[in-house]
Amino acid sequence: MLSKRELARYQRQIIIPEWTKVGQEKLKKAKVLVSGAGGLGSAILTYLAVAGVGRIKIIDGDKVELSNLNRQVLHTDRDIGRDKVDSAKEKLELLNPDIKVEAIKEIITENNVFDLVGDYPIVDALDNLPTRLLLNRVAVKRILPLFRGAVYGFEGRATTVIPGKTACLSCLYKGVLPGKIPVVGVTPAVIGCIQATEVIKYFLSIGELLTDRLLIYDGLSMRFSEVKLKKDPKCSECR
Amino acid sequence: MDVTIKIAALFRKFTNGQEFVKVTGNSPMECLHELETRFPKIRRWLYDKQGNLRPQVWFFVNGQKISADDMNRPLNDGDELFFIVAVSGG
Repeated sequence: MLSKRELARYQRQIIIPEWTKVGQEKLKKAKVLVSGAGGLGSAILTYLAVAGVGRIKIIDGDKVELSNLNRQVLHTDRDIGRDKVDSAKEKLELLNPDIKVEAIKEIITENNVFDLVGDYPIVDALDNLPTRLLLNRVAVKRILPLFRGAVYGFEGRATTVIPGKTACLSCLYKGVLPGKIPVVGVTPAVIGCIQATEVIKYFLSIGELLTDRLLIYDGLSMRFSEVKLKKDPKCSECR
Repeated sequence: MDVTIKIAALFRKFTNGQEFVKVTGNSPMECLHELETRFPKIRRWLYDKQGNLRPQVWFFVNGQKISADDMNRPLNDGDELFFIVAVSGG
């Protein structure tokens, strides 16, 4: 049941015809894991929190550094040296005190990934492929949706994985571009907002998910394009 | 076959900023070879030191992902070849 305060907070989205109070209740009961409180994570967490997703679990093992602050807008100069999960939790609770935020300071490994994820839908906001593939493994084994985004410079991509139905990350990734990743803050902001939109649609069961499609954002020419993905019949994870 | 190669943002610095390059070729591989001949600096992004296509480069024909095995499949006039490199920044 939504409180008077919640009805007031969410009134502008509740009046979206596909959303309604019923949808808001669904979001309130929903839980989601956001792995990474960096550039993508800042945008994803912010918009899932203000939309009213009831329980948000954040996992990140890093501390805030000065070089993060061109894009990781949940953190400020005053947070330098703090654990990112604590900094993020503090800001999210200020943005929306009506939700529950769980902060887990852990590096995701092969040994802990199943325990850390549990049965939460997964939003992949990480910055490295090996850990993304670990999350993908859990998603496939436990049939959990995986909302994936990645960025490089002015370019970003997003797709949504529904295990059993769509291509998984292992169907696609056979390595990534090596080296330090250049990035301008607006790119993870755009892609993170797309991932958050996918999560909201998934919980509300509305619209069309970005499944078996890769959305490519090119900030330099300011174009979005889309390509079709397909399952790899030889995939080591989901075949 | 007359084929258009769409150049992703990351690669446009190698094609003098061109987003679309017209080539002639019967397969994705032949089209790629023409592109490399015209813009040789793109090669190191596409191939490893052994000269094999890098597995982190994904190819699409008319918006559909193709596998490495499909690089020699026939193309039709007017087809569009597109490739991106897998990235993982967050």
